[in-house]
Amino acid sequence: MQFQRGDKIEVYKKSMDEAWESYMDDFIGLHGFITDPDTTINDPDALIRVSLVGKGTHRLPQDALRLIP
Amino acid sequence: MAEQTCPVRNTVIYLSEQICSGTLTDPKGRRISEQILQLTEEIAEGAAGPEHLSAIDSLIEEYFYTQSPVQNQETGKTLKEILDAHREVFISHIETKNCPSHDCGKLAPSPCQMACPAGIDIPTYLSLIAEGKDAQAIEVIRRDNPLPWVCGLICTKPCEMMCVRARIDTPISIKFLKAFAAERAMSDRAYKNPEKKADNGKKVCVIGAGPGGISAAYYLALMGYGVRVIESLPVPGGMMMVGIPRYRLPREVIDREVAMIEELGVEFSYNTVFGKDVTFEALKKEGIDAFFIAIGAHKAWDLGIKGEKEFPRVIEAVKFLKDVALGEHHVPGKHVVVIGGGNVAIDAARTSIRLGAEAVTIAYRRSRTQMPADIEEVEQAEEEGIEFSFLTIPKEIVGENDVITGLDCIKAELIKKQGSDRLAPVPILGKDFIIKADAVISAIGQYVDDEGMQAFDNMNWSRRGTIEVNHASMETTMPGVFAAGDAVSGPATVIEAIGGGKRAAESIDRYLNNIPQPRMPKIPVRHTTEPPKEMSASRKMTLKHPEMSMLSVDRRRTMFQQVELGYDEASVRREASRCLRCDICRRCGKCVEICRDKMGIDALKLGYMDFDEPSETDFRATGEKCITCGACAANCENNAIVIEEKDGQRMLKLCGTILNKQDIQYCEECNAILPSIEYMQFISQKTENIGKVTENRCLCNNCQRKLSAKMTVLMPPVNRT
Repeated sequence: MQFQRGDKIEVYKKSMDEAWESYMDDFIGLHGFITDPDTTINDPDALIRVSLVGKGTHRLPQDALRLIP
Repeated sequence: MAEQTCPVRNTVIYLSEQICSGTLTDPKGRRISEQILQLTEEIAEGAAGPEHLSAIDSLIEEYFYTQSPVQNQETGKTLKEILDAHREVFISHIETKNCPSHDCGKLAPSPCQMACPAGIDIPTYLSLIAEGKDAQAIEVIRRDNPLPWVCGLICTKPCEMMCVRARIDTPISIKFLKAFAAERAMSDRAYKNPEKKADNGKKVCVIGAGPGGISAAYYLALMGYGVRVIESLPVPGGMMMVGIPRYRLPREVIDREVAMIEELGVEFSYNTVFGKDVTFEALKKEGIDAFFIAIGAHKAWDLGIKGEKEFPRVIEAVKFLKDVALGEHHVPGKHVVVIGGGNVAIDAARTSIRLGAEAVTIAYRRSRTQMPADIEEVEQAEEEGIEFSFLTIPKEIVGENDVITGLDCIKAELIKKQGSDRLAPVPILGKDFIIKADAVISAIGQYVDDEGMQAFDNMNWSRRGTIEVNHASMETTMPGVFAAGDAVSGPATVIEAIGGGKRAAESIDRYLNNIPQPRMPKIPVRHTTEPPKEMSASRKMTLKHPEMSMLSVDRRRTMFQQVELGYDEASVRREASRCLRCDICRRCGKCVEICRDKMGIDALKLGYMDFDEPSETDFRATGEKCITCGACAANCENNAIVIEEKDGQRMLKLCGTILNKQDIQYCEECNAILPSIEYMQFISQKTENIGKVTENRCLCNNCQRKLSAKMTVLMPPVNRT
């Protein structure tokens, strides 16, 4: 999945990435926007910054996110 | 305290009032109250862990120390009573992360504040700027970000991306309003530090004087800690100083804001390399109680192509920008090729042009739309004459006798690889070409340099080569050692590092005071609500985003003067007034639904309130249909939409915007204030029998009722024969 700044996303599942912390389980099902995609090397493995409705801004692994219309 | 609201919310309100009103004059009592407030706010937000309640119990006991003043004892007693009566509600908040009465969500921050990695209370400072209160605006910003001027010039502004006003026309220019307020406050000598707490005798060492380190140092100093900042460079600012060119961020801006932090007693040791000039053991002996690592990501990735190590004029962008920032103004070559597509590549290219390069080309392996660099930066680079070669994969740097003659490239196409829906650049066989060059600058990214970090032997590193932390507290796996900024996230933004530094400072304070750490990163909080600015619906709709004044292109191609010249004062005040005040109106849409579905009026054309499918908004349209019945206002939980009667007029206002205005009518019989004619007609239709009696008369409810009763008595019964 390639995310662009401003894309609307849903945190739809738990990631198996080591960067996934237990509090992030609270985010599953939440919607938000990509505010900073993998800016340097377009790396699908990079953690990207999302602003989640009601939960502030966090860096999350991309495999936990999906685009929503 | 209000009786009906959630006790957790009540506790937050009670403690905030106690702290802000200055009731707690005893420093110890004040410190205890602030710590309890912090823990209670986390319970309200659903960010608390299982130890929060017991920590509050212990802190309450601390109020009753020997010779504790009465004010402390009273506060302790009140809090004890709340907890005794409502303990299960606190437990429920912690376990379910939810407030059953929704009171704890009423001060939910606006989307712009939520998007800001430092959580700045944007609507509050915008309303202060609109009123011309620049110094107060800076005070609000510095609660969450000690570098408002810097961020006003170079922030990646995620706040503007989330700005609700963009659903109507264009987002508020939040970034530049901040820069204006900071510059004005600094010029007026009104940019002041808040009062710092008394020295607590504890010391923290901050490694790195970049945005993360400066932010942590500022908040720690305010909390009364002794702070020593170790910096390997001869200047403060880290990447802000040596990575961002002066035409975007003048050095004086960094110097002035760092000077404010020095004023708090923070000690900066420049030209000092951790692990070489000063060691972990020596600092421990010096009495350091905690460490904060903010070393950034300064090491450049190799291109991995032939010729990279053979030619002296293959330069790393970070080193090139650093040398220029430190005074080495030498043109890298006549024909410069920069490889990369991020902001660093753009900065290296624009710097080369300013140093006198004849031609500068940016070679990027993907297409324009996929460039990670900011759109404004790309446009400005193009204006300055920089060429872009998209879908270009560098193959080899070619030349003779240590002199580069060109960059051998191959054209790429974007193709989805098997098992992935991601477009990847794939070389097109036979489509080789050479870009003329005598200097090649690589800007394909950076990573964290771990040299000197071996002393932190129990600190884990992630597989991405960054320092592993718990993001709720920014604490590493080594007790007493915290980290933030690019060293944790990889190369990211200044504002993210600032947010991380502030979060780490709060956690260091908790660590050194045995307060439990939060379960999740703190959700931004609002401290106050500024009254909204009153203006007509037409004015609110027609205020336009100002144009940014720019330095002439000729000067931009030759000098390092600041490119964006900012707005004039009148434009700043107007632009700040465009803010919709999403801190007051939560856009629940209840007002629209009630007006349309319950009252059948449909006067509120507020399409921006729909998050998923925004439709047209026109504040001016309300006046055409509104009957000022007040149903919208009566059902607004946040008092965002209100009915006001003032100077003979009745107004319906949404966050200060006057949606409808009518002259107040008076009862012909008793002179009591009447609802609007339209409303009375609306009621007449609903109550036709009474209407017949009071037809064509302007009467209040009481007089209508009296006359109707009188006429009923006087009139003969209808069906009597």
